[in-house]
This record gives sequence, structure tokens and C-alpha cells, in this order.
Amino acid sequence: MKQEAPSVSLGQQVSLVTLRTLIGWHFCYEGYVKLLHPAWSRDGQPLPPWSSAGYLKAATGPLARVFHSIAEASWIGAFDVTVALLLILIGTSLLLGLFTQSGCTGALAMLSIFYLSAIPLGAAEAHAEGSYLIVNKNLIEVAAVTLLLVFRTGEIAGLDAWWIRSRVAVDQVTEVMP
Amino acid sequence: MNLTQEQMDQGRRNFLRVLAGMPAVATLGLAASVRGPVPGGPVRIGFIGVGSRGRTLLTDVDPAYADVVALCDINPASLEKADEVLKKNSVPPATHYTNWKEMLQKEDIEGVVMAPPLWAHADLATGCLEARKHVLCEKMMAWDEAGCERMRDAAHRNGKVLELGYQRNYNPLYQSAYEGIIKTGAIGEVFHVRAAWHRNGSWRRKGDPPSSGFDASQWGYPTFDHLLNWRLYWKYSQGLMAELCSHQINAVNWFLGCTPEAVIASGGLYRFPEGREVYDHVYATFEYPGGRTLTFSSIESNAFDDYYEMYQGTKGTLILLHESDALLFDEEASKRSIAITVSPREGGTVAQSSETMAGNRNTAGMSAAVASSAQAGPRPIRIEIQRFCSAIRTGKPVACGPDKAIASALPCIRANEAIKQKSRLRI
Repeated sequence: MKQEAPSVSLGQQVSLVTLRTLIGWHFCYEGYVKLLHPAWSRDGQPLPPWSSAGYLKAATGPLARVFHSIAEASWIGAFDVTVALLLILIGTSLLLGLFTQSGCTGALAMLSIFYLSAIPLGAAEAHAEGSYLIVNKNLIEVAAVTLLLVFRTGEIAGLDAWWIRSRVAVDQVTEVMP
Repeated sequence: MNLTQEQMDQGRRNFLRVLAGMPAVATLGLAASVRGPVPGGPVRIGFIGVGSRGRTLLTDVDPAYADVVALCDINPASLEKADEVLKKNSVPPATHYTNWKEMLQKEDIEGVVMAPPLWAHADLATGCLEARKHVLCEKMMAWDEAGCERMRDAAHRNGKVLELGYQRNYNPLYQSAYEGIIKTGAIGEVFHVRAAWHRNGSWRRKGDPPSSGFDASQWGYPTFDHLLNWRLYWKYSQGLMAELCSHQINAVNWFLGCTPEAVIASGGLYRFPEGREVYDHVYATFEYPGGRTLTFSSIESNAFDDYYEMYQGTKGTLILLHESDALLFDEEASKRSIAITVSPREGGTVAQSSETMAGNRNTAGMSAAVASSAQAGPRPIRIEIQRFCSAIRTGKPVACGPDKAIASALPCIRANEAIKQKSRLRI
């Protein structure tokens, strides 16, 4: 017996695309701000210089050794720019729904690295903005991006959807006029 | 085109689906340009005039906010001393110039901090502003009213920041006193402000020319003494009124929220008549709107009173003493205490005024009185330069721009005229 695939309602479609847009925004702005340095806050304070070196040096977990060696590498400056550009690329992909599956995959890769570099094991940090045990914002974002990947949200709305529809139209014309 | 309503609706939906991310991209761009960080590193600044006051400013340059790339002074000895300041601050040395125009031409600077003799303010500041540099100029604004207006016009015409160095505006103690006491009406209506700046000395500085061949006349000073002691000669200076009173008028204008309308003044050169032109004793009464009056005195024969501003309100008296202490007295202290806590608006200096004591009829006892302050935060001059740099980078307004500075300079210029004319002058 042939089983019909469950359809995604309009509300579900809107929710998924909204989620993709928000995550895209998050990635895009993170990359933009990193790329902007040196910079000043709007209220007139010079922002501290940004480098991933500090974050990498503080890394724990299974990949700690790799992160530490990157932090001490002479090409850390180029690494910082690459990270910022990747964040912008992924963010733009999710915002526009362009190469969405690739964007989601990239986002998953980066978020997983971020998560693995500092897995929250319940140690209380003096200036942390929250308390986390195993589950933190990175892991939740991983789950959310996985959802976007599985539901192929680029085919619901965005430039991927336009591309797919254009291809379908071309194929139909080709079929009619071989 | 023959499209059904259903097809048109479908077409619209398709269009919106394709452009789903576009509004988000546009909003992100807009939000980033309005609320996001502003790109740029420390502001590249040059100094003009690194005599004693210029070096004080140089000492307080925060390297997170500004890079000092050039120094300009006609006195090589001052440049050498300025180098020592930079070295002490552990910042890279700056290129030396004796000609400010050459500095502007050769150096890629965004702003200029200047502390030359008063008579040079208008020409130098206007020249820098016309060269599209931002300017932080030491007070007073200019030697005469025309100079002040030239500076203001140049700043407006070129759309550049012009700040005048009245550091009380950045003093957390003053900010706390204004916000917590004056603005709340805690001392009632203020009809009388008394300001004093009393010293016991000639104001004359001693020093030798930087070299035997040093010729100050090429810069407009007939002798080296005129350059070293420019404050003592009318050609370059407006005397005690400019160097001391204008600071206090600036603060009183801020606290009273208005500017003086007329001045009556007297004074003279009584104690140190030799080798000096400007008065060594000045007394002025400034008339503010609403029946409010500021009396000011500056003498060079007795330092007992030190310097302070005293706001005498209908309910109490606020005294801001030598820029570091705040005293508060209740008019009817025997009945109750005002009990106001003065806390800084921004972090830094903490002024505590937890309890007030009886109205002190004898000012000699004040130093042992009620309020205290702890200079824990950065110095007001440091904050002043930080804010100048912030204004350049982010557009955040400075505390004392040209309009407020003119309102602080004109009363002082008029007061000197009133002394000379022995008359009451409108400001």
C-alpha cells in the first residue's frame, strides 16, 4: 500500500522559514561584527579587540588540543577572518534561502565545533549569563538547524525555491519540445 | 494577459516566497548601520602646544581611544618633555613639528588637541577645522568675541567636532551634584552663587630659552619671557578672568541652566606691577536671569579660600571645593538633615554626602565638614579626551561644544572690559 507523505501546513512552513531567518540573522551579525573590528560601540566605547585565540585557548573537551594549537599558530589572524567570513556566508545562505542545505550543513559544522570546544559540564562561571549542564545555546541551535536541514526549508521559501521552480518550468518545456 | 484570480494569488505567493529573506537582509543592514558597532581603531591625533597644560592633556590620552602621532610646538624644550610623557605612558614616540600647517599636511591625523597661548586659539583652531580636522581646544575659547565666532562658524561649516576644555563637565563629582542636588531642587531656589579662586603668588614662571639662539620673535613674542609668561600680557591673555573664572562660569551656567546677561567688575594690578600687564586682583558680579547672581573673586595675595563654587539655595548650600570635594549644608540643620546621597551617574569618582550638618557660618571650619569624595575613577581630563574621541568615531555629542564655550568666554571678556571702563556692561 502506497503511503502518502505528510504535507507541511502553511503555519508550519512559516514557522520553519522564520526559524531559518532568525538563525541566519544570528550567524550573519556575528560574522559582520567580527569582521568590523577594530570598532566602537554606539555609546562611544572602543570595543576590545576580537580574536578567536582567547576562545580557542580556553577550549576544553575532546578537540582541546587541536584548538590550542590553532590559537598559537602564526596564521591565527587569517583564521579569524575566515571564521568571520564563514559566519557571514552561512548566515546569508540561511537568510536568503540560497544553497540552504549547504548553509545548514556549514552551520551544523560550526555549531558542533563551538559546542565541542566548551561542553558545559555544570561548572559555575562567575560571569556566565546562565547556568548550563550539557545542553547550552549552541546545542539547541544545532537541533534547530538540523530541523531546517531535514525539512529542506530552501524549497519552501527563498532563492532555492525560485531556482527549483525555474528548473521545473524548463524541464516541462523541454519535454513538450524535444 | 488572461490570469484567473487564483493564478494571480498563486503568483503573488510565489513572489513572496522567493523574496522571503530579503526583508530580513534589509532590516539587518539598517539595524547594523543604526545600532551596530562603528568601525575604526583609536583616533589618530596630533597635539599643538605641549607646554605645561598641553603635557597635562597628553598625559591623560587613553591609548584605547587615541594614538598620538604628531606633536607640534615652537619650543623644542617642550617637545622633548612631551616625548618623556609618551615614553612614561609606554606609547610609541610621535613625530615633531614646529609648524602646525606642515603637521596637518604631512600627517594622517583626524583630530587635533591644542593648548597654545590664548591669542592663538582662534587662528589655530579655525585653520585645523578648515583642514577638516576635529579640534579639542584648551579653554578659554578665544581671546575675543570675533575669534570665538570664527571658531564656531568653522566647526559648523566643516561639520567637525569642536570641544573646549572645560573638564568640570566630565567630573563625576559635578555630574552627581548636578543630577542629585541641583536638578532635584534639594537646596531650593538658588539666587546667589559665590565663586572664588584665591592664590598667593605672582603667577610668573621661571625658565631659560631652549638654546642661546632661540628667537621667539619669529612667532610674535618679542622676548622669551613673553612666550613663557604669556598669561601675564594682554596681547596674548585675558588674565585671571580667562584662565580661572571661565572654568567656574562654565560650571555655573550649567548648574543654573542659563547664561549671564550683564557684569559689573573691578580690579587692578596691585601686588605685582613689575613686568606684568594683567590684573592680579579681580572682582566681578555677573547678573543672571531671574534675579540670580554670581560673584567671583580671584586674588593673588592670599590663598586662604582656595577655589570653589558655592550655590546658596533657599533650603541649603552646596559647595564644590577644588574640584574634588562636595559639601552640603542645610539651612535649618538644627531641625533636620537633608540626607542626600550623591552617587556618580557614571562609574568612577564617588561622592558621599550621607549626612549633612548645621549651616556653617564660619567657612574656616568647612574643611572638616560633612562630605567627602574619593578619586577612584579616571581623571576628568582623561574622560574629556575619551569623549572627544568618541564624538569623532560615533557622533556622541561632547559636553562643551562651541555654543556653551562662547557663553563661558564672553562674560570673562566683558568683565575685563568692565574693569577697564569702570562700568556695568551687557553681555
